[in-house]
Amino acid sequence: MRRVNMKAYTLPSAILFLVLSAPLYPTETLAQTQAKESVQVSTSSLAPPTETENEMMRQMLQRIEDLEARIRELEGRLAKNESMYAVPSAAKDTAEASAVDVPEAPSTGIETGAGHSQVASQTGSAAHDDHEEQRGTPKMQIQGFAEVNYRATNERGKTNTFALGQLDLFITSRLSEKFSVLSELILEAGDDNAFTFEVHRLLLKYSLNDYLNLSAGRYHTAIGYYNTAYHHGSWFQTTANRPFLFAFESRGGILPLHNVGFSATGRIPSAPFGLRYVAEVGNGRAFRSPQARPVQTAVDENNGKSFNLGIFARPPQVPGLQTGFSVYSDHLTPSGGPNVGQTIMAAHLVYQNTRDEFLSEALAIRHTSAGRVFYIPGFYTQYSRRFGNVRPFFRYQYVNASDDEPIFPSVGRRNGPSVGMRYDLSEYVNFKLQYDRTARRRLSTLDELILQLAFTF
Amino acid sequence: MFRAYGIFAILLITALLSVPVLHAPHARAGLGPAVLVVAQQQSDLAIIVNKSNPVENLSMAELREFFLAERSHWSTRQKIRVAMREPGAPERAAILRLICGMSRDQDFTTHFLRAKFSEQVIDEPRNLDSGRNMIRFVANVVGAIGYVRADEVDPSVRVIRVDDLSPGDPGYKLKF
Repeated sequence: MRRVNMKAYTLPSAILFLVLSAPLYPTETLAQTQAKESVQVSTSSLAPPTETENEMMRQMLQRIEDLEARIRELEGRLAKNESMYAVPSAAKDTAEASAVDVPEAPSTGIETGAGHSQVASQTGSAAHDDHEEQRGTPKMQIQGFAEVNYRATNERGKTNTFALGQLDLFITSRLSEKFSVLSELILEAGDDNAFTFEVHRLLLKYSLNDYLNLSAGRYHTAIGYYNTAYHHGSWFQTTANRPFLFAFESRGGILPLHNVGFSATGRIPSAPFGLRYVAEVGNGRAFRSPQARPVQTAVDENNGKSFNLGIFARPPQVPGLQTGFSVYSDHLTPSGGPNVGQTIMAAHLVYQNTRDEFLSEALAIRHTSAGRVFYIPGFYTQYSRRFGNVRPFFRYQYVNASDDEPIFPSVGRRNGPSVGMRYDLSEYVNFKLQYDRTARRRLSTLDELILQLAFTF
Repeated sequence: MFRAYGIFAILLITALLSVPVLHAPHARAGLGPAVLVVAQQQSDLAIIVNKSNPVENLSMAELREFFLAERSHWSTRQKIRVAMREPGAPERAAILRLICGMSRDQDFTTHFLRAKFSEQVIDEPRNLDSGRNMIRFVANVVGAIGYVRADEVDPSVRVIRVDDLSPGDPGYKLKF
């Protein structure tokens, strides 16, 4: 029998086997290979691996697997997006077309072109913004409002002073076609020169259609017109300050202008004159003690809830005209005294166009306590007209609370005119000059001069 | 003493600031600068919507509500998406003047800032820098409403009537 020289066949056979079987081995990433090599080095050079080395190897391999999974996920998302944003074939011919053709993508839940920056947005980038917003998570938009004031007054105990006003950070974000978030954060220095930070509005909104918009969170109460028209943005106001009737609670205001709860607004279907409604339910205002924080953001001092119902009209036949009324009801529970029922009835008539502004509101606060009824009547009227960039204005305001009023005994009667002017230094910066004269019952008359720079950014 | 100085300061500063403004030609005419530019041309503006939109006619009052975002949805429940030409474009100035009753672009900007601030809108109008881009935007966004010069319209969008009149009809109001 002929003997076969096995040694002669062994080496070529091994090489052939390796070449043919190479594709059968699973493909490794460079990182895996390096990891395995390092493992081999560590295991071969030093005999038995320690427990720490084993743990390190296990972590490295786990990390590699995680990264590979992440890559697969991203590749999947990319493929999905490419199919989702495919534009009509006719529009694919130019780069410009693809930048403008932004189909609504309801499946993404984020609306096309949601809230890009106002005048700054330009076409070339605007469509790009749309794509980014559709593909990404919800984006916050921040608009800032601020003011710098100088006040000179003859009020006893007060000095003439420069004052930094509120820094108002207004934030909006669209979450889906129907859901959005709105927030107003205020940084403000108090009489002790220390800054305080407060969330003045935080609302989750659900907009079903023109007839039903629901909101939950902290809101500005829709009593009258001023509070929900100007909020904290002094840049919007013609005057340098709010009418006393609508002063915020923290500045001695008598109305519950902030509330936490739930609200519904919308048009009234088929109603004439552009009729709209607003309905609100919330914690109402605290009044357990005069030192209590008036806005019950986290805890209500009683189980009763406040209610506010308003109806107002914006007839399309008379652009700029709005009139309406609202009724607010709550129960206040001061400590050491009987409960107080509070009802606030407000009515307004407003006409605004780009030249003329006429604001007029009247309200009556009714308090019932221990069988007695107290009324606080008040009103303000404001008129201004724009001449170029200058808008002179006149306002007269009045409020009268009796001395035995159970909730606001120190308000008394205040009335008087305000005159001044607003000058638009630029589109986003205005300067206001205002003189207030306020007569007070059994107190000296107050004179105050206010200079204000208000701006948005 | 304080009162006298206060009143004097108000009168003086108001007078000083008013003089250059009131002497400007556009101020004497009661018109903003943008209006003067628009008045030099004459062309019809066509209001355009997506072809899937069944609305055929809108009144000037309804257009005002649409462009000022006082309405948010079409009768078809589709969300309204307002498209505007960029600030400075004569078409935009004409829409602001004829439909919105505004003589300054600043008024439109302020209106939307205020509408956002007052929880009435979340989305601001989309600014587009040419009639061609406007048409493409409206053609691709179902709830969009925009405007172009009548001679720029192509079949990818639909022109709606305004107060029952089409561009070119006698009495058509949207001219610039």
